[in-house]
Amino acid sequence: MATLFKKDWFGLLIVVIVSGLAIAAVKPAFLSHFNLYVLMVSTSYMLIIALAQMIIIAIGQMNLSVGAIGGLVAISFSGLMEVHQISVPVAVLIGLVIGMMCGFLNGYITAKSGISAFIITLATLYIFKGINLGITEAEPFYNIPETVKNFGNAKLGNTPIPFLIVIPIIITFLMWVFMNRTETGRHMLAYGNSVQSAELIGISSSKVVITAHVISGFLAATAGILVVCRLQLGTPNIGDSWLLPSFAAPVIGGAILAGGKVDVIATALGVLIVVIISQALVIFKIDPFFVQIFLGVMILLAVLVNRYREYKQEALRKIFNSE
Amino acid sequence: MNKKIPNFIFTNQFGLLCLVLIFIVIFSTVTDGFTSRFNIFALSRVIAIDIMIGLAMMVVILTGGLNLALGAIGVCAAMFGGWCMEVLEIPIIPSIFLMLGMGSFLGWINGFITVKTGVHSFIVTLATMSIYFGFMTMLTEAEAFRRLPELFTDFGSAKLFNKYISPLLLVSVATCFVLFYVFRFTDIGRKLIAAGANPEAAELSGISVNTMFIYCHILSGFLGALAAILLTTRIGAAIPSMAGQLGMDWLLPAFLAPVIGGTLLSGGKLSVFGTMLGAVLVTLLTNGLYLLDVGEFWIRFFLGIILLLAVLLDRTREYFTLKNVIVS
Amino acid sequence: MKLLFSIVTSAAVVLSGGAFAGSSDTKVALVPGGPHPYFAAWEKAGQDAVKDFGLGKADYKVPAEWDLSQQNELIESLVGKGYNAVLVFPGDAVGTNKILGELDDAGIPTAALAGCVEQPTKAKMCFGTDTGHSAYLGTKQLIDAMGGKGKIAHFTGFLVDPNTTLRIKAVEKAVEESGGDVEIIQVIADIDAYEPADEKINAFMAAQGGEVDGIVTTAWVPAVVAAQALTNMGDKRIKMVGIDHDEVVLAAIKAGFVHGTMLQNPYGQGYIGSYAMDKIRGGCTFKADAPWKSTAQTDQFIDSGTVFVDITDVDNYVDAMRGISLEILKTFEGDFLDC
Repeated sequence: MATLFKKDWFGLLIVVIVSGLAIAAVKPAFLSHFNLYVLMVSTSYMLIIALAQMIIIAIGQMNLSVGAIGGLVAISFSGLMEVHQISVPVAVLIGLVIGMMCGFLNGYITAKSGISAFIITLATLYIFKGINLGITEAEPFYNIPETVKNFGNAKLGNTPIPFLIVIPIIITFLMWVFMNRTETGRHMLAYGNSVQSAELIGISSSKVVITAHVISGFLAATAGILVVCRLQLGTPNIGDSWLLPSFAAPVIGGAILAGGKVDVIATALGVLIVVIISQALVIFKIDPFFVQIFLGVMILLAVLVNRYREYKQEALRKIFNSE
Repeated sequence: MNKKIPNFIFTNQFGLLCLVLIFIVIFSTVTDGFTSRFNIFALSRVIAIDIMIGLAMMVVILTGGLNLALGAIGVCAAMFGGWCMEVLEIPIIPSIFLMLGMGSFLGWINGFITVKTGVHSFIVTLATMSIYFGFMTMLTEAEAFRRLPELFTDFGSAKLFNKYISPLLLVSVATCFVLFYVFRFTDIGRKLIAAGANPEAAELSGISVNTMFIYCHILSGFLGALAAILLTTRIGAAIPSMAGQLGMDWLLPAFLAPVIGGTLLSGGKLSVFGTMLGAVLVTLLTNGLYLLDVGEFWIRFFLGIILLLAVLLDRTREYFTLKNVIVS
Repeated sequence: MKLLFSIVTSAAVVLSGGAFAGSSDTKVALVPGGPHPYFAAWEKAGQDAVKDFGLGKADYKVPAEWDLSQQNELIESLVGKGYNAVLVFPGDAVGTNKILGELDDAGIPTAALAGCVEQPTKAKMCFGTDTGHSAYLGTKQLIDAMGGKGKIAHFTGFLVDPNTTLRIKAVEKAVEESGGDVEIIQVIADIDAYEPADEKINAFMAAQGGEVDGIVTTAWVPAVVAAQALTNMGDKRIKMVGIDHDEVVLAAIKAGFVHGTMLQNPYGQGYIGSYAMDKIRGGCTFKADAPWKSTAQTDQFIDSGTVFVDITDVDNYVDAMRGISLEILKTFEGDFLDC
């Protein structure tokens, strides 16, 4: 039980439960069938977007092009089906491949050139968004096959659980396994912790960086496809609003931006917190402008808290080392 | 050996100048309308604003950091100024000072938080970007200030030199000269550069690196507010969406100009005139692409590619310079 | 949709009988505020205007984003390329005036379409939907459908859109006139894009769905998303009045989930707007005593028409708009121009 308390995510879980109950006390509709469904739908793609950023944070970098990749894949996915009559599974496959290729581009250039991922992904953000706009000329693709639309709307039997969330849950689980139980995952954390130490142990920088970015691109692509299922059309501005939440969730979940420390479960809880807050703002008719301020303050607080913990850990380590 | 390095640096700005001239020639001959009075005037205004935005980011890049909140600071300063001029009816000159003060203040907050917490300026400014923008939107309720003093807005449409150039450009170029002087010839300027180039060494030689970094952020906010003033006179109103959602529209020009101009992202090296030429080059290219009927939608794509090429080129140049140093 | 538009065109050609021959060095640029499905009709409208009136060009050029600076830069570069008449949806009701003034200095006629600029302005006219009036009528229809009382929500567009404030006030006015029987419980603005609209509207439905009796939407995307939400929920208790003619909204009307929609006339705006610009270039001027309408923003407003369409006439909605467009065209020169 004591170990449970110490886990990063335990505190977050309490926050989620408490805030959920608090809101429900004031507005019972919050826990209604339909509202839970709506919350889970938002969580579904937010989760994947957060994980796409999280894995890059793990290696101590940032991926500004997450939204741009998502948008590009979203329109490619819908465009292929509408214009070229490509079947759904093949379109999904092509979409995911596009995402991975975008990720590969990011990772390769970052790894080989040694330039900060921030500026590389800033450039590719414009490149991918540019391709997106160039192809669509800002017009959405409306004709999505019925199967896709149904997938976006369906629920599991009589529960409020949407089909949409099944895949993200599976992916979250796989990411947890990847980061905690596989060699590559642990290499990434080591690399994020200290590039020099990692290289000394024999970890290949390029492999780590490229793999991380490819996974990030894959996840961004998945999120883009899910959003198309949900919105029932493919519009070029999918992904425009992803930047802030993609950082907010992992950071709230305890991630250190310098790298080396991320927690999949905590990130997932971070997503829940962001989603609940966004909804609460609508429910309580709080000025929508307030959302921006809120997210910004949350990020700052989360970062400060993380920094403080880092600092304490450093201090503890120094004490132990000096003995 | 020492002769090689000055030549190389010289090459960067000189190279840019050559590129600018080459493109001017190409576009003048290939398109019609590039050299028209209307077009050159329009260009002069966009260049003026982009130069200022580039300079504002440049001084933060000097510290090895980033200022994502630049656009947000700009909009806040502009809206604050609009409020002063329209609602409080404060005359133009004091209002301008107030706007610059607001920008500097917001920049100071960024610098202070960055330095005191040790958190990277990327995340600090990512957070402050939304906080500043959110407060601004909340306080103004997203309403623009549209009845600004005529003298102020006329400045934005004024035409000099036989209607070819906007006075905005003169303001920006003058700022370039001032900054160049400060960084090259004043004590504080050299300290700022030293702090960015090698913080540990600077600290050892008695420079308070933290203070220097805060100064950089303040300066960034100041220049951002100045850019916003120019943009407001151009538009003729103080509009909350002038820099896009959360001020993000300024990010591309803010990075492109300094990076193309030779300012290193790792900090410690900047080039004022490089930034100026970088802004000119990017604006020229964008304008040329529009005129060549490339399709408005592909412009972003090209800008992204240009940024990528610019950083890669920068890196290669760094690599070769280093090689030369070691080899010789 | 395409078939219907070509019907409109043929009708226009037949009726105009070549009486409106224009100048082939008139090159019109139709520039919206940013990407948005509403303006898609402008493209065809411009092409048809070229065919029917013999113009040189009437091209639909979209700024890549809803950003005033980008719109300004686009317009400036279009002028650089030789366009000599500009029809624009203002990126900002005042901010756009600046560039219109500069175009006027350069001898280029301009007009505001679908959204107005504030006076004083150099734009020759504002030709658009009386959005305030349209929102007012739509709300009245909603209140009727609700039986005269209840709680409503209003979903509307970008705050930077000059029409949004007009719409918010118009809905409030209609509600005031109910004398307290109707109450607005929430206004959600800035959701004229799919992702935020989906998130906010669904959050609203989940949280307040049980309390609200009617929804009025005065922007394209919220109308689509709300119509979809009601259809998915299978809800026929909540009454809704939408805007514009997206297929989702029309299908929802036919299926009984949405009470009706307020149509606007984007095609007519682009078509007649191009025609007017050509006439101005040919030397005509606007009459000072023309039958202008006044709105909160301008005294030189020409109504491009709005019509409420419900399940009884939803299949013929194009006829309704076609009728209005042709009516306007027939009498436009006589009413408004001095040639």
